[in-house]
Amino acid sequence: MEYKQKNPDALVDMIDIHKYFGSVQVLRGIDFHVDRQEIVGLLGDNGAGKSTLIKVLTGFHTLTRGQIFFDGDAVDIASPHDARELGIETVHQDLALVPLMSIARNFWLGQEPTYKVGPFHFMDKKLMASESIHALADVGIHIRDPEETVGTMSGGERQSIAIGRAVYFGKKLLILDEPTSALSVGETQKVLDYTIAAKEKGMSVIFITHNIRHVYEVADRFTIIERGHKLGDFYKSEVTENEVADMIVTGQIPERLRLYEEAAVGE
Amino acid sequence: MMQAYLENKNEGRNIGLLVTLLMLAFTVVGALVAAMVGFWWMPLGEYENILLNDFNAYEIIVIIASIIYAVCCARTTIGLFRREQSSLRWSQWMFFITLIISGAILLSVVIPVGLKFALLLGQNIDLRTQINEEVGGLVPTVLSLGEGLISVSVLVLVLIALLALFVFIIPPLESLRRMEGVRLIVAPPRRLIQAILLVFALGIICVLIAGIYAVPLHLDKTKIRVAEDHRILAGLIFFLPAFFGYRQVRQMREESDELRRAVALTPGKFIRAELAKSPSAGAIIGFIAIFMTFTMATDLFLEPSSIASYLSNVATKGVIAIGVTYLMISGEFDLSVGSVLGVAALSFMLFMTEGAPVLGVLDPIPAALLAIFVAMVLGAVNGVLLITTRIPSFIVTLGTLLAYRAITLVAIAGGRILRYRDYHAEFPVFAISNIVFVALAVIGMALVAFTAYRVLPVLLQGAGRAWSIRRENGDFGTSGAIVRFIVFLVVLLILLAIVVWLVAVFGYHIDGGLVEVGYFDIFNGRVSAIGSQGDFFHLEIPRDANVRLAILWWFIFVAIFHIILTSTSFGNSIFAAGGNEGAARAQGVNVDRVKVQNFVIVAGLTGIAAIYETARNPGVDPLKGQGWELEVIAMTVIGGALLTGGYGSVVGSLLGALIFGMLQTGLVLVGIESRLFSGTVGVIIIAAVVLNTFVRGAQRN
Repeated sequence: MEYKQKNPDALVDMIDIHKYFGSVQVLRGIDFHVDRQEIVGLLGDNGAGKSTLIKVLTGFHTLTRGQIFFDGDAVDIASPHDARELGIETVHQDLALVPLMSIARNFWLGQEPTYKVGPFHFMDKKLMASESIHALADVGIHIRDPEETVGTMSGGERQSIAIGRAVYFGKKLLILDEPTSALSVGETQKVLDYTIAAKEKGMSVIFITHNIRHVYEVADRFTIIERGHKLGDFYKSEVTENEVADMIVTGQIPERLRLYEEAAVGE
Repeated sequence: MMQAYLENKNEGRNIGLLVTLLMLAFTVVGALVAAMVGFWWMPLGEYENILLNDFNAYEIIVIIASIIYAVCCARTTIGLFRREQSSLRWSQWMFFITLIISGAILLSVVIPVGLKFALLLGQNIDLRTQINEEVGGLVPTVLSLGEGLISVSVLVLVLIALLALFVFIIPPLESLRRMEGVRLIVAPPRRLIQAILLVFALGIICVLIAGIYAVPLHLDKTKIRVAEDHRILAGLIFFLPAFFGYRQVRQMREESDELRRAVALTPGKFIRAELAKSPSAGAIIGFIAIFMTFTMATDLFLEPSSIASYLSNVATKGVIAIGVTYLMISGEFDLSVGSVLGVAALSFMLFMTEGAPVLGVLDPIPAALLAIFVAMVLGAVNGVLLITTRIPSFIVTLGTLLAYRAITLVAIAGGRILRYRDYHAEFPVFAISNIVFVALAVIGMALVAFTAYRVLPVLLQGAGRAWSIRRENGDFGTSGAIVRFIVFLVVLLILLAIVVWLVAVFGYHIDGGLVEVGYFDIFNGRVSAIGSQGDFFHLEIPRDANVRLAILWWFIFVAIFHIILTSTSFGNSIFAAGGNEGAARAQGVNVDRVKVQNFVIVAGLTGIAAIYETARNPGVDPLKGQGWELEVIAMTVIGGALLTGGYGSVVGSLLGALIFGMLQTGLVLVGIESRLFSGTVGVIIIAAVVLNTFVRGAQRN
């Protein structure tokens, strides 16, 4: 089946996404898109399918049916490596960094700068240390010592470094998977600040959470997923925080908003 | 008062000058100690059998420490004279070094006596009767006194502990804890505890002194060093002032903000911080402790033949331990190395005797390469099994441990031993022009010179910058760059001396003549044997010392694999794969490939070790290498690698192997029964891991 891009200007346009695990239908025809320099809050209760949707996008799962367009091109994302090549960076709750490794080594993991001595390639440790300090300072993260091991840092600091890394490597799309669920209030605020910094640097962000309070402040638009279906897309100007929270819990669109939806369908 | 003096006030003047003079005196004492030990006026713990004019490591340490001590004292004197705050920092180091010197002197009494006590216990000899009958005089009284002091102090400690336990545990007394009187019981005053500990220490000293006289009577056959009583006095004369001086300086530092800045790092904290940076910190501490213990326990430990013996014993296992460390850092585990070693050794021998399948009978070098390849294939099978089945590597390699063993058991039927000599009359040799050796030495020289040319200017610049920063800050600041420069310079000079010496030795005989060298000798021969072949090495290694060439290969492998692990992106991905597999995958590291590569590396190194083992004793039995896997894992774990992955170092595995070897040799030398070896190693493993955990905890803070 041929798919056509519904939102031609969008960075990511996922069309009619189906994902079955055996006979279990986890995603049942979801359309999802992210515009350029936009922060999308991807919301839904536990088990709604938001993680599966993101894992399809990042290559951990292959989709059963549907098509993904990235940057205007139809793409086939078969592995995390493919997603990375496209410029998609995911910051997982606890999968972002290696605790026993230093900040600099974590920062460059997988793409270490090297210099050559004869036929041998060596890591440029000096460059790794100095560049990681500068790059993180650019998004407002100030670290004491690039040789410090990540394991000694707090959860918020770790998330921040992962976000700073994504920004530095010029990624186009940053996916934050439940980034704030284990953080204190102050740390959450910081992560939200870095998210905005990432947007200002030209990235789009998908912010996955089931806690509307964390994302309402920074997101431009909310996509709510409910049992494998999309409930709807709502711009921040259209909805209040409480309405979004209600939708997540009840899985129903309030009367007032249904008019918007019908109008959109009518077009 | 000192504070006032340093702040240039009049009131502290007299006492300040007095202390300055005292420091000057200490300088002289330090220099004297160094000279006395250095010129054999005061030999420290010489065993009768050993030549008097012969240093042991213990003496060398005391000499070096006394020289540093004298320098520190001199620097303190100057600092006090010029009223610099930083002089306190120097004096702290001075006290610290004095503690080390005097501690070493005390230990040189305590360790031999303790060991002899342990041996006596093993022989069921009643010490008390022996002392009463054979020594007499004051010694029985001292012993009773010591025992009494120990009993009393232990009793009091137990009482305090019981009281504390009573108050804490029993709920009705919960409310009492808040009352003033009870708090005294719960947390007894520090002074009281200190006093009890002092009594306990006195008791120990009394028992030890009695032991010095009593113990030698029954252990004439052991080689344990004679402990001399006067050294306790000498040690205490240094130890006590240094101890109180150190505490005094610390107190002064805590009282003054400016001083706290000047004396930012106390020696203890400095050493802990430095150690915490290294994954092999536990192994370093363990190595020093065990080395010093055996050095002080018996002079035989530092005989060249002893050192050669323990190095040669562990060199082959050490090579495997490098690979196992890699694998463990990447979060996996290999039990099959012993069996892989058996298969590789068997292949090597078979290829040279019965012949390889298509190629026929091979020369040693092709046979070795092919055998290593066979081992790598077995390793690859391990790795591929792991990533395809996702079974834990423990299970996979447990299976292959048994399966690979079957290969050797089937191939060599009837439990016979496959011997090289049964097929060939002579060991294989090759002739080589001695010009080649000269050429190799010259290349080595060029390599050293090139490294110096590339690295030295950078280090010098760094050291210069650090030096000027120190000048500006009044002798305070980082000295790491300066130390690095000096260490590099010293290492470079040593290397250069070795290479120049080799060039000179080889060049003396340069005539294009042919030298016959045994293949097996190149793999893992006695160095003295190689020398005898061509009679041109002139290496002054004792003929009876078992110095094997595998030691050299081992060190070279350690250097290469250390650099790969710490300075290449492959090394980085190994750490990541073991530290957090998900994060590594998310960053595009091909974790599966890294793991298979590591299995191949382990197996390849095991294959190389098999060549060494076979070259050392050219015969293979079906059970070769059995039980090695656990010994190698023990070395790796002692070396600081985490079983859970993500942490460890190649240098640690080297130290772990050395600790293993030192224990094997040292326990025999001091006369402890070899039956106790595995027990001791068990205790050491647990202690080392606890130590490693402790040091990593320090790193976190």
